[in-house]
Amino acid sequence: MLDMQQVAKIYRTDTVETHALKNLTFVVAEGEFVAVVGPSGSGKTTFLSVAGLLETFDTGSYKLDGQDVSQLNDRQRSRLRNEKIGFIFQSFNLIPDLNVFDNVDVPLRYRGFSASERRARIEAQLEVVGLSGRMKHLPSQLSGGQQQRVAIARALAGEPRFLLADEPTGNLDSATAAGVMTLLEELNQQGTTIIMVTHDNDLARRTGRAISLKDGAVQEIFETSKAVSV
Amino acid sequence: METGPILRALSRNKTGALLIALQIAFTMTVVVNAWYMVGERLGNIDRPSGLLEEDIFYVSSTGFAEDFNIKVTIEEDLLALRQLPGVVDAVTINAVPLSGGGWSMGLRIDPGDDTQSWPVAVYMVDQHGVNTLGLNLVAGDDFDVADVEWREPGQTSWPDKVVISQAMATAMFPDMDLNNIVGKTVYISNDEPVMISGIVEKLQAPWSGWNSIEQSMLVPQKTAFSSVRYMVRTEPGRLDEVIPRVETTLLNLNDGRLVRNTMTMTETRERGYLLDQGLATILTVVMAVLLLITAVGVLGLASFSVRRRTRQIGVRRALGATQQDILRYFLVENACIALIGVFAGALMTVGLNAWLVGAMSFPKIQWGAIPIGMILLVLVAQLSVIGPARRACGVSPAVATRTV
Amino acid sequence: MLLYYARIAWVSILSNWFLSLLMVTAVGLGIGVCMTIVTVNYIMGSDPIPNKSSELFYVQMDSWDPNDAFREPNEPPNQLTYLDAMALMTAGQASRQTASSAASLILELDQPDLKPFIASARTGFADFFPMFDVPFLYGSGWSKAEDDARSQVIVLSKETNERIFGGENSVGRTLRASGHTFTVVGVIDDWGPVPKFFDITTGPFNEVEDVFVPFNLIVELELSRSGNTNCWKPSADGFVAFLNSECIWIQFWAELPTAAEQEAYLSYLDAHVMQQKELGRFQRPLNNRISDVNAWMENQRVVQDEAQIMLVVAVMFLFVCLLNTIGLLLSKFLGRSQEIGLRRALGASKATLFAQYMIESAMIGVAGGVLGLILTWVGLRGLEGLFGDFIANLVTLDWVMVASAIVLAIAASLLAGFYPTWRACNVAPAAQLKAQ
Repeated sequence: MLDMQQVAKIYRTDTVETHALKNLTFVVAEGEFVAVVGPSGSGKTTFLSVAGLLETFDTGSYKLDGQDVSQLNDRQRSRLRNEKIGFIFQSFNLIPDLNVFDNVDVPLRYRGFSASERRARIEAQLEVVGLSGRMKHLPSQLSGGQQQRVAIARALAGEPRFLLADEPTGNLDSATAAGVMTLLEELNQQGTTIIMVTHDNDLARRTGRAISLKDGAVQEIFETSKAVSV
Repeated sequence: METGPILRALSRNKTGALLIALQIAFTMTVVVNAWYMVGERLGNIDRPSGLLEEDIFYVSSTGFAEDFNIKVTIEEDLLALRQLPGVVDAVTINAVPLSGGGWSMGLRIDPGDDTQSWPVAVYMVDQHGVNTLGLNLVAGDDFDVADVEWREPGQTSWPDKVVISQAMATAMFPDMDLNNIVGKTVYISNDEPVMISGIVEKLQAPWSGWNSIEQSMLVPQKTAFSSVRYMVRTEPGRLDEVIPRVETTLLNLNDGRLVRNTMTMTETRERGYLLDQGLATILTVVMAVLLLITAVGVLGLASFSVRRRTRQIGVRRALGATQQDILRYFLVENACIALIGVFAGALMTVGLNAWLVGAMSFPKIQWGAIPIGMILLVLVAQLSVIGPARRACGVSPAVATRTV
Repeated sequence: MLLYYARIAWVSILSNWFLSLLMVTAVGLGIGVCMTIVTVNYIMGSDPIPNKSSELFYVQMDSWDPNDAFREPNEPPNQLTYLDAMALMTAGQASRQTASSAASLILELDQPDLKPFIASARTGFADFFPMFDVPFLYGSGWSKAEDDARSQVIVLSKETNERIFGGENSVGRTLRASGHTFTVVGVIDDWGPVPKFFDITTGPFNEVEDVFVPFNLIVELELSRSGNTNCWKPSADGFVAFLNSECIWIQFWAELPTAAEQEAYLSYLDAHVMQQKELGRFQRPLNNRISDVNAWMENQRVVQDEAQIMLVVAVMFLFVCLLNTIGLLLSKFLGRSQEIGLRRALGASKATLFAQYMIESAMIGVAGGVLGLILTWVGLRGLEGLFGDFIANLVTLDWVMVASAIVLAIAASLLAGFYPTWRACNVAPAAQLKAQ
């Protein structure tokens, strides 16, 4: 599913070069639930951005679902993001001017679905996350947990095979966080591949495998059946 | 198109959109009305006077010496002027088209003081008038030397024949063949008969803003006034060379007078339409600056809107929007605002025009001008938003993952 | 504290210099265009003789064609016939009165090197000078006795005196005009009422004439008249017939300081017309009118339609500029929501923030006002270039206009800044300090 070989990413300013990712090699198989852990500044977010085709990388190779993405242009990368990848962000990133329905609608529009199909998918997904009754609400009228569930619905509406979650429970209280985590586990069991960035060891333990990053390089990859110590 | 969500998102930011729409509406109101006025004024300026303007100039001669003999001097002057090299012909004339000063009378089909009267500008010339002015005689005959008489100061009677402009002829006798109008007797000064002996194609009155500007007539009279004006037609291109020669010739013939106010017809046209030309220039500058300000306003607000929405642009990109999708989003959003603006603008344009037409001398706009104005404003708005929209395209999808 | 706000505002203006420049330009252009047009209108519509404008009355009597009004709707003619003007002069029912008309004279000079030239002349009666507060450099106007005696006296403008006598006191000297000898009785100091209210028939913004001579000399010497002559009825041949005709060519002013005098004068006019009706003249319904200076300017549309149209355009122009500024300020202030939240958290009250942002708006207003003044000056010079002499009297900036431009600019900017500031001050501080 995801195959990174010797991927490196360098941020350059006039005076400073920051090696955000150093020769990272990592493979995720279809259907896995992987946690990415590591301290602040370890390269977790950069890894997620590169994996999610939000950013390009400088050297190495990256195959997503067997396709070499380094040669793709912006339009093709956008298309791939739209069809195969769903994003869940720590700060939800709902568009504040749009109501719940229109937020979930955003990726479907870019996918080019017909109006009726979009409506069917939006309603179905909001049903799944339990927010069918809030379609006309604006994000500001929802609680944090509800907002994140809308974000999940938006990520899933296009039925991506690959879900990238960046600290999905970071802005939520523990009870709500647990609910969101359960939802992710269910999705994984239904076959969606999930990579989740987190610094919460308890959450990392609930995944199948974890990769620990430090200073942009892989420090350790381990099955989460072991105890995690970071 | 994704207009639905765009409009719903817009309704959450009413003020900004409203400000742009209002600006567009006001700009359109001013531009369409001003454009119409400019068009009308420039249209007036383009009307031909009927004269061969580029080859004609005129000069005043005012006698002051005790022994100044008006009639002798005029006869001598005309004889000399007509023989000067480069001169085609010359006449005395009491008024000059476009100059703003002249005589007008009324012509009547039926004599009396309560019958219908058509206003007409009067040009007093001799048998060289048609040739000097370069007029095109379309019916009847020019004056004969025997028709021409002196007009004394204080004289109020008129000669027997007149040559009128075609516009005057058709105003008095609509639907009548020009050749049949020739020979008709009409009445001047209520009941003094004159015969229409000829018709010239075009000859404008001296007042550029007059309602009956195309109605004029030539009468075969030479003014025996102490101050007369000579109009001179030169061979093509020899105007500048002939003017000083005419001035010195006149002074050499008789220096008991002032020779002054030499002016070409080209200068006269410029002065005659000074107000119109100036107004057109001012309004054009105002329109251009106004469009520029509106464009800058749209650009400024769009830049802010892009900056404010950097994060959501990143999110959209992360969710699979291509750069073109982002560009289109901003263009469609802008088009929605602009459309609201131009529809409001259309109403305001009509409203302002109705008021201007009612309150002052303002042309009524035609309906065709409104859609053109609407398209213009939408185009200006779209062009102004392209810059900020392109910057929006450059937003990296990775901003979605940043936690600031 | 005020200084502190001003410093913050200054930093904020500089930090976003491009935007600030846009706003200053927008305000400046709006003010510039508006003030240019307003200045022209202001001068066109200004009171040419403020301390007497309500005491001087222009006299109209409807001697026109029984079948047609002089001008619809039923306006009396804008000048008087010679017969009526003379009757009014002879009756002398006002405390002061003058008939007046334009003429032209050929001035011949003793010095052989000076060529004769044509001078524009104003004819009037002795009261002309005291009525219109004409200032004299040397000598004075002529007397009623000289009017009656048809004396050949002349009053020169300052420029004409300069030209002929080199600017010295020429009272008592003589000069030849149109073949007659005139004695100089006075030289006028600078005088140029705008509009030229005492005769607007040939254009309300013309220069005052070069010389002044008694009205009666038009008849006595058959001087060459200028200005407009309108006749509804043909007159017979000859000058005497012309004088007795129904042609109108004379302006008539009466000084009537009190309401009682005005009423009395109107009834005198009516009586005169009734008497003339018996002679077969004045066949239209009784329609006499006296208008004070400003009413007369209004009636004659001295402020032309074009100027008013331009005023409408200019006001809308300013409005667009204001909308523009409101939009930009709104964006700017709301773009600083986080900073506002922070300041609120650090203890700034709404009032404090309000003051801070209003000061920033006012600073933009001042800059816009200065730019606007410069543009107004440029605009007026541009108008002068476009219209030349026709408008030269209308394109001067006085301190009233300068002050109004600055005040207008600041007021406009404060107005434009009000809504954005209000919005900015109502930013909820907590929302802006959360992680996002």
